[in-house]
Amino acid sequence: MTVMRYAEALNAALREEMQRDPSVFLFGEDIGRYGGVFKVSKGLRDEFGDARVRDTPISEQALTAMAVTAAMSGTRPVLEIMYADFLPLSLDALINQASVFTYLWEGQVDIPFVLRTQGGGGVGTGAQHAKSLDAMVCHIPGIKVVAPATPADAKGLLKSAIRDRQPVVFLEHKLLYNTRGEVPDGDEVLVPIGKAKTVVEGKHVSIFASSKMVIEAENAAKLLAKDGIEAEVIDLRTLRPLDLDAIRGSIAKTNHAVVVNEGWTFCGYASELSATIMEHCFDDLDAPVARVAMPDMAIPYSEPLEMAVLPNAVKIAAAAKKALA
Amino acid sequence: MATPITAGAVAGEYMETLVIVEWRVGIGDAVAEGDVLLTIETAKAAVDIEAPSAGVVSAIFAEVDSEVPAAAVLCLIGNDIADVDYDGGEAPVTGSSSSSTPATAVMAAERAAEAPRAAVSSARIVASPAARRAASAAGIDLRVVRASSPSGRIKLRDIAGASQSAPAFAGSAPVSAGLPVDENGPLKVHRSGATGGAPVFLIHGFASDSLSWYPLDRQLAKSHPVYRVDLPNHGASPKRQVSGFADLVREVRDAFDALDLDGAHVIGHSLGGALALALADTRPRKVASLTLLAPGGLGPKVNGDFISGIARASRPESLAAWLKVMVRDQTLVDLPFVKAAFAARASAALRAAQSHMGETLFADGTQSFDLVAALHRLDCPTRIIWGRKDRVLDWRDALQAPGHVGLHLLPDVGHVPHLEAPDLSLGIISALIKSI
Amino acid sequence: MINAPSTDELKDIHHKMVVTRELEEVLGTYAKEGKTRGPIHRCDGQEAVGVAACAALRADDYVCTTHRGHHVYVGKGLTTRGIVAEIFGRETGYCKGRGGHMLLGDVKTGMLGGNAIVGAGIPAATGMALSMQILKQDRVSMVVFGDGAAQTGICHEAMNMAGLWKLPVIFVLENNQYGLTVRQEVQSPVEDLSIRAAGYAMPGEIVDGNDAEAVYRAVAAAAERARRGDGPTLIEAKTYRVKGFSTSDMGGYQSEEEMAPWLDRDPIKLSAEKLSALVGADTVAAIEAAARAEVAQAFEVALSDPFPTFEIHAPSAAYSETK
Repeated sequence: MTVMRYAEALNAALREEMQRDPSVFLFGEDIGRYGGVFKVSKGLRDEFGDARVRDTPISEQALTAMAVTAAMSGTRPVLEIMYADFLPLSLDALINQASVFTYLWEGQVDIPFVLRTQGGGGVGTGAQHAKSLDAMVCHIPGIKVVAPATPADAKGLLKSAIRDRQPVVFLEHKLLYNTRGEVPDGDEVLVPIGKAKTVVEGKHVSIFASSKMVIEAENAAKLLAKDGIEAEVIDLRTLRPLDLDAIRGSIAKTNHAVVVNEGWTFCGYASELSATIMEHCFDDLDAPVARVAMPDMAIPYSEPLEMAVLPNAVKIAAAAKKALA
Repeated sequence: MATPITAGAVAGEYMETLVIVEWRVGIGDAVAEGDVLLTIETAKAAVDIEAPSAGVVSAIFAEVDSEVPAAAVLCLIGNDIADVDYDGGEAPVTGSSSSSTPATAVMAAERAAEAPRAAVSSARIVASPAARRAASAAGIDLRVVRASSPSGRIKLRDIAGASQSAPAFAGSAPVSAGLPVDENGPLKVHRSGATGGAPVFLIHGFASDSLSWYPLDRQLAKSHPVYRVDLPNHGASPKRQVSGFADLVREVRDAFDALDLDGAHVIGHSLGGALALALADTRPRKVASLTLLAPGGLGPKVNGDFISGIARASRPESLAAWLKVMVRDQTLVDLPFVKAAFAARASAALRAAQSHMGETLFADGTQSFDLVAALHRLDCPTRIIWGRKDRVLDWRDALQAPGHVGLHLLPDVGHVPHLEAPDLSLGIISALIKSI
Repeated sequence: MINAPSTDELKDIHHKMVVTRELEEVLGTYAKEGKTRGPIHRCDGQEAVGVAACAALRADDYVCTTHRGHHVYVGKGLTTRGIVAEIFGRETGYCKGRGGHMLLGDVKTGMLGGNAIVGAGIPAATGMALSMQILKQDRVSMVVFGDGAAQTGICHEAMNMAGLWKLPVIFVLENNQYGLTVRQEVQSPVEDLSIRAAGYAMPGEIVDGNDAEAVYRAVAAAAERARRGDGPTLIEAKTYRVKGFSTSDMGGYQSEEEMAPWLDRDPIKLSAEKLSALVGADTVAAIEAAARAEVAQAFEVALSDPFPTFEIHAPSAAYSETK
């Protein structure tokens, strides 16, 4: 085990996979010479050169489309989209190209590319640089979506994503990059896509979260423990394909579910979790599924305003208590 | 907007259909809250459907003797006779009334039954899916489970509480342990029948309820207003601890007094017979005649196993065994009868309360209340009807009656003459009432 | 002459152009009878662009095309039977009936593929060229796209990167004068779209899109340049769409006067004239008869091929388990 920051874990995953497979290349805005605005690709251009660690113009739409066909024709591109807020520019390539041809040309081509991006609020980046658009990418058939919360999962999942045969959208969080955690040593430690992880065991209420919301959920569990409530926190890790077994198993135990996502509430990822639980765990439920997500509005800039809209441990704990009342 | 009337939960969870036995009201009749609208039959039990609120009967969808889905809308109570729109249902066509053919009535009822919110709102039980599943598995009636959540929703823990309380009485644990909090309010009195004529007041026996009077009530109600009281911890009456027989007499007397009846013909069965006797003893001027069916209180002997067994029976199979003790002709206790009887006692809380009451009244397997003296004091016309094959109480106790009390000691009849020999029982009672 | 097609190549090009035309005409007949599904976008009159451009590439080069790409399908070497089977939704189609006539792909012939999002082929080919550059291959990619697609934002983004990184991509702008019902001059301030190449530091050239040999020469030169590592080329092939936008097009906006000179210069007529001078009219007639027979045979076989059976697509599933 080595203690690493989340960004360092991602960097290690990229380095190892580029060393392992010469068809892996990185491209995106400011990722080469500068090393990425969050320093995830720091040092990689020096090691692998301009061709494989490529600074690009500000052209998210074409870059994503190019990632799709580059993947079809022999390489494994890792594209960095600087902010998740820019994902709408990538959507045509994801929805009308990658998703479509995963099915239409099945057996003829694989589409092994990774779109890395980061979202989330909390540091005053304003309405166009703080969103979590998980639901938008999770809506697309054939696209896998992962959202790790810890450095270990960040590294293990990124390595799995790069080696996957299908497109993977890799969602990071700007407030996670500097978090530290133990990361297993070794080039072949992968975290499987499609498997959730129980990070806190409990018997009274299940809290399902991903990315930074896992930290909030863990803190909520600590708050609830003061009232004698034992919350179980499930880190989904992969948002699509979703680990239904993990959800079923936890709710069968606790009979109560709180679903958390930093994105908008209406038609959001939490809504999908809620619908999934309703369909698959209905008879286990002892209370309605509680959603904790962003209010349906643009994210404000001023600190007290931004803090008011962001989901957090206190809101999660309140939702859990309401479900248990 | 009219209120649609369905059988609601009283149809019983085992029943898919019910039969309309009798309409007590017609289109255009004004009804008060609690008035009996109609009688339905599920299996062999009869159930009265009462008006949930005052209004005017604006539509009737099902004809007498027709079989309709258990969830069907049976009639509408509107603000006036023209008020036939209701939530979730199509307005019935003009002329859709008691004169419509049964087929049309059934179709109309089925159509209305498809509307998800057609049921009377009071019948809707709010419970979580997990609680429903647990209640179903444990045979617990959600209607008597109290919701502890501020949301009013019955949750899993409420079921756990209800199912834990039942074994506490089944075993040898102190009977007061885990008893629910006493419920307040007067005893439930069901009213049906004619508005004119001499009133009839019926008191059922232990571990029964006012529905058991169906064979008698159906006939008597044709010419009398009929009042059927539910004893504490029975039927729709509150569940609360009864300290002894005197306490029970006071409860019944309060209910009787509240009706302010003059010249009532009082009929009681078993424990209800003892209560009827006690009532007549203390309200002599209000009671015109007395009919005692296999009455208690005339001797110490009682089948203690029966008392504890029937009150505890938590499964239809065990209930059936004790029901068979009550009657001579065992074929009367068939599966639909058992299911209907069990549906009325599906609540663990109700069974627990009755067990406790049984242990209080019949402690040591003995009838400690002695009403022989009261029987001798009576001066109103009185009849005792008793089966000579009674295995719950000893019919020979009737022989202690004074000379002016008429005895009808029926051969090949058990503890429930009005069920086992309904025509004969009714004939005796009718003749008594007519003689006044 | 450098980059000129051989006589055999010209014979093959002529054959494929006639196959394409015959395919369109038979499809047109089926469409009128209501026997096709969805609209069919015919490329009558534009055969020289797709067929001759593909003829100038190697088999392992990649090509992307549009919703109007039958000439590219045939040009890159797809079988007529597989194309027809796909159009009629059969199991034997190139995409087992999943794609239809606009979204056909065949990785073995390097045809990836048809695309019905206008402009999508441009970054698609650019992405493939990026892959080739990173893998240090000597392959090239080509996109055939229309004057409508040239107006998209993604065209600018992709060409900018292609020029910037000197990617081995050939942009064949098939200017058929129309974006759906709207003429090119109503969509663009410049008549010759090829002048935009200057903005991306790549050569821009105009060719007669109805002259198969001219198209071949231009693409062959561009491919050679791309393989040398000198980057992309923009070739504007001027042609004309003679059969409307699609089989569901109500028409009425293309006049006979406007169309007449283009019909006079029909690419197959021009090709037949040139080829007759080289190999004789009889040989040309034999080529054309063989092409028509091939198409007739393809329809016969494909229309009796089985339909696919539906299966849920597991890689698209939302849940990681399958209970």
